Amino acid sequence: MKTLADLKKIREKAQEEMKLRGSNIRIKIVVGMGTSGIAMGAREVMKTFLEEISQRNLTDVLVTQTGEKGLSSMEPVVDVIEEGKDKVTYGIMTPEKARKVVVEHIVNGRIVTDYVVSTGS
Amino acid sequence: MQDISLHLLDIIENSVRAGAKCIRVRIINDVQENILRFIIEDDGCGMDSETLLMAQDPFYTSKGERTKQVGLGIPLFKQNAELCNGSFTITSEPCLGTVLKADFEADNIDRLPLGNLKDTLLGSIIGHQDVDFYVNLISRDKGKEHSFHFDTEVIKEELGGIPLTYPDVIEYIEQSLIEGIQNTNMEDV
Repeated sequence: MKTLADLKKIREKAQEEMKLRGSNIRIKIVVGMGTSGIAMGAREVMKTFLEEISQRNLTDVLVTQTGEKGLSSMEPVVDVIEEGKDKVTYGIMTPEKARKVVVEHIVNGRIVTDYVVSTGS
Repeated sequence: MQDISLHLLDIIENSVRAGAKCIRVRIINDVQENILRFIIEDDGCGMDSETLLMAQDPFYTSKGERTKQVGLGIPLFKQNAELCNGSFTITSEPCLGTVLKADFEADNIDRLPLGNLKDTLLGSIIGHQDVDFYVNLISRDKGKEHSFHFDTEVIKEELGGIPLTYPDVIEYIEQSLIEGIQNTNMEDV
């Protein structure tokens, strides 16, 4: 059973880490979760990002869900937003592509140009 | 949509877009009554009676900036509930919020499976850190009731400022949901 005591341990561990590394969120991943995105598999893409963050222990990445933005033919759509850089939008995402974006872009800072559908603010 | 938990995800997104700060999701599986019931309640901006009627029309969307003027989310959910002898109602009050209720005849041949409820809830909870989720799963069978409560407000309080995307927190929430879904026999509904 998961209890609140477990959370307390997590909090202490996280606070300890933040003292060493700071608590800045470096990068934000936004998964489009409108009706057409959901129908095209956006939930599985979202799940993959959460899995990767958890397994790779990435503490400076934020993942959020948002509604549709008029790119229905490119769903599932994912934005990667890094401070001081142009927003990168990936389209027709799958769990496999999401994994690759984590390794290449999120971890190593190389944009996966093959999946990009648009860039800019 | 391939399963009901995808509809649920879609409805939750509607609530978020309506500016909800608190979303309550209740799922009741009553075996004797042969009903699978979903109640989604939010404190978002709500709708007046005219908008409410239009929300159930596939040729209506609230997204004015859109080129395609359709919104299929609610109509599809309604259709899937009604297709299997169920019912679908939305009540809403401007500035107060919206309550959506969908009943499915559980053993109907046309009923969609519940699907991956865990991933729907996990993504929604972590993907909307500023919204509080209150999840209540209830299963009733042969006079016995199993219930699971999950309240993100308590979790956030306990975490102080640690974000929900912190790796151990993701795992904590996922494990809690898995346990709750298993304890209420909702993994294979």
